[in-house]
Amino acid sequence: MLTYLARRLFVMVPTLIMISVLVFVIIQLPPGDFLSTYLNELQAQGEAVDPAKIEFLKRQYGLDQPIYVQYVEWAWGLLHGDLGFSFEYNLPVTDVVGDRLWLSMVLNFSTVIFIYIVSFPIGIYSATRQYSWGDYGFTLLGFLGLAMPNFLFALILLYYANVIFGTSIGGLMDPEFINQGWSFAKIMSVAEHLWAPVVVIGTSGTASMIRRLRANLLDELSKQYVVTAHAKGLSPTKVLFKYPLRMALNPFIADIGNILPQVVSGSVLVSVVMSLPTTGPMLLAALQSQDMYLAGSFLMFLALLTVVGMFISDVLLAWLDPRIRLQGGVMK
Amino acid sequence: MTDILRIKDLKVEFVLPHMRVKAVENVSFRIGAQETVALVGESGSGKSTISQAIMGLLPKSAQITKGSIIFADPKKPGTRVDLAMLDRSGAEMRAIRGGRISMIFQEPMSSLSPLHTIGDQICEAVRLHRKVGRAEANELAIEMLTLIGFPQPKRALKTYPFELSGGLRQRAMIAMAMVCRPALLVADEPTTALDVTIQAQILRLIKEVQSELQMSVLLITHDLGVVANMADRMVVVYDGRVVEAGKTDDVFINPGHAYTRSLLAAVPHFNMGPDERLRPLREIKPKTGSLFSESNQTDGTRDAPEIPPSLALHPAMASEPVLAVRHLSKSFSTRKGNWIKSEERLVPAVDDVSITVNRGECVGLVGESGCGKTTLSKLIMRAMEPDTGSILFRGESGQMTELTGLDEDQLNPYRKRIQFVFQDPFGSLNPRMTVQDIIAEPMIIHGVGDSAYRKQMVLELMDLVGLDPRFLSRYPHSFSGGQRQRIGIARALSLKPDLLIFDEPTSALDVSVQAQILNLLKDLQRNLNLTYLFISHNLAVVDYIADRIAVMCAGRIVESAPREQLFKNPVHPYTQALLNAVPFADLDHLLDFDKIVDGKASDPARWPAPFTINDTSAPKMMQFAEDHFVRAERADFTEVAI
Repeated sequence: MLTYLARRLFVMVPTLIMISVLVFVIIQLPPGDFLSTYLNELQAQGEAVDPAKIEFLKRQYGLDQPIYVQYVEWAWGLLHGDLGFSFEYNLPVTDVVGDRLWLSMVLNFSTVIFIYIVSFPIGIYSATRQYSWGDYGFTLLGFLGLAMPNFLFALILLYYANVIFGTSIGGLMDPEFINQGWSFAKIMSVAEHLWAPVVVIGTSGTASMIRRLRANLLDELSKQYVVTAHAKGLSPTKVLFKYPLRMALNPFIADIGNILPQVVSGSVLVSVVMSLPTTGPMLLAALQSQDMYLAGSFLMFLALLTVVGMFISDVLLAWLDPRIRLQGGVMK
Repeated sequence: MTDILRIKDLKVEFVLPHMRVKAVENVSFRIGAQETVALVGESGSGKSTISQAIMGLLPKSAQITKGSIIFADPKKPGTRVDLAMLDRSGAEMRAIRGGRISMIFQEPMSSLSPLHTIGDQICEAVRLHRKVGRAEANELAIEMLTLIGFPQPKRALKTYPFELSGGLRQRAMIAMAMVCRPALLVADEPTTALDVTIQAQILRLIKEVQSELQMSVLLITHDLGVVANMADRMVVVYDGRVVEAGKTDDVFINPGHAYTRSLLAAVPHFNMGPDERLRPLREIKPKTGSLFSESNQTDGTRDAPEIPPSLALHPAMASEPVLAVRHLSKSFSTRKGNWIKSEERLVPAVDDVSITVNRGECVGLVGESGCGKTTLSKLIMRAMEPDTGSILFRGESGQMTELTGLDEDQLNPYRKRIQFVFQDPFGSLNPRMTVQDIIAEPMIIHGVGDSAYRKQMVLELMDLVGLDPRFLSRYPHSFSGGQRQRIGIARALSLKPDLLIFDEPTSALDVSVQAQILNLLKDLQRNLNLTYLFISHNLAVVDYIADRIAVMCAGRIVESAPREQLFKNPVHPYTQALLNAVPFADLDHLLDFDKIVDGKASDPARWPAPFTINDTSAPKMMQFAEDHFVRAERADFTEVAI
């Protein structure tokens, strides 16, 4: 088990290196860089551009160096926790991102937990009472949730909250707390605002997870070992929780690696619509203006989430399922 | 004798949204104390429904609409419970289920949860029905595992089902069912998924535990061989009704109902005479058409479906070899460990196998699961590359050609000459193709004939395997298992191959259908002068159809001999163990349970000298008598190059 963990951790290193190279290359792919975009903008506004100043800026930002040097410097910085410098904001990336990163994490983890809490009981109910009215009802709701684009749902929610309750559910906190230091009141305000984006972002995930849990559990319920458990004289609830449900869990755990980045990147549009101070909208802007260190840091953050998520799910799977733990070895 | 269980006039119906389907009706029988009653029937007869009704495990849509199941617990004398009346998941039913009546199932792999240890699953059963602590439950589990014959009961508690062999898994299952010392054990096809030697061990075990715990057994099976060896009384079920019930001896010797008679006649038994034929419920009469007779030089027998069986297979034809496999070996490598430090281990699947198939004969290849017989067939088909050895095949030119070195293009003409019939009649036919397309496909692939010829050929093939040509536009799902297998046979015949390889063609079928298919294969072979390589784990089936038999174990052929010779005078210890373990449906040839040895039979290192195979000795095939070869180290035989 320990060697397995060590090996998994070890494999993460080359994976992350590969990703960082890819991220860097992709950001550099469009012609020009942040400065040329910036200059074009200045020229378009009719302002004179001093060539000496451009040279100075280029050197300042290291843009005159060959690409691989830029990459190495950036990667070296990352290793030391230095995320680089945002051209657009003229600030270190860390300062630009600031609270946004934490707020994103809070929002997204809440969403994941919301998805699990809601979808589990419903999925179990639907599977054990297949083709009942409840099952049909949840199926309908689930498909509605799947079919409706998140941002549309957000708009509808915003509209009705305003029309019916006269409140604005946009943002993640009351306006007076923006740019304020953290306080108890601010935390409470965040908690108050959190539910709307969580529900909006979580619906489609919840819907698809209900469907999957239902399908997995239905598969397992008809397996022979479930009959064996009944034949022992176990009560139906105990049978359900000890045997088929545990088997049906595997795909969910395997999914943790996917769900983290999915939730983070999937919430960009909703964040724009609901003007949430999360990382999504900022990433979008950074990519548009080729603010490469800012964008690169975001993308690396997503990659790290994926890789760590995969690691967690692998470890959990090995812990939960003895077949994975003990049946090593490959047949050729 | 008091009865433990009395079923009276039981009727079970499946209630579907638009109709009610009756599964079982008018079923009455009783099980006495310490008695073994066999419930016999083919698939779909309703025997499993009866067992589910007893256990309260019927599916939700099934209802007991009539009758009673009276259970009289010997532990509580005088009490009678009607199981049919109890709430299926209520406390009273649950106390009986698993506590007083236990059940074991057919599939030892899927019947145990792969995520929980054996100990967990056994102790759970103990603690459900007895007020004992964890430690005491462990003790009881170990005690039961010891009784069941687990090699290391203490360690077994911590193992997971997938770490055990099939036989051990079934033992664990039995231990789990027995641990509460039930009054009645319901065994639903307990040995069907096991190899014969393991089957014999498990049957012996059930008998031993039965007398040890003084319980009754309801044995549900389709295998009359198992019935003959195990049951005191038998109940024959057909189409949801009991057609016959009585003492096993009486029923076997003097079957009263026509169905019982035909069931008994359909089972291949020991040492059938060369002319003796199985009698299936419905016989197929193959009809040969013009296209087939054209190519067949063997006159006289064609176009005559009703040939007296005495004309079967003239040994005179068995001269010219069609296929000669020489010293064929194939290993698989398994990799264990991580990618920094990995260990490669070679596992031999087929080891130094030589086999010859002559024109017009049927060679049977017998062995237990994992012995390499399927790998061998795949090597012959060149679906896999052998490591060493040669495969010689007589092509159209009449010359023996070496197949191993040929590339795909060169091999193509030979692919046409060797055809294959698979075990699983469901998986081997494409569900999206019509029967017409399925049978014609090989001809299209090999560019045989024009479309008119193919059409004619498909019609003839349907006649040949006894299927109505009107079925041609149907899809495989509308056929039964036996009919599908016939479609598979027709497909294999469409290229008029020189050699047909059958891989367990009847093991997925009921006995009466099996008899039908076996007879069909015999007739086809005789009428069309076909050459068969017939692979099976069932000795009785091979005995019925094959002229020569090769016995395979652990990747090697250990003995090969003509049919009668092998059965009359088996030399190799493995062959003997195999023969001793087959339960024949014949009261005069009952299993000798004392002769059944645990686990030793299929381990080459534990065979006695001169048969031992281990690191130091690698015996070769020796001639024992004419055409009778045995893999042995030395001496008593003379070595011959084969």
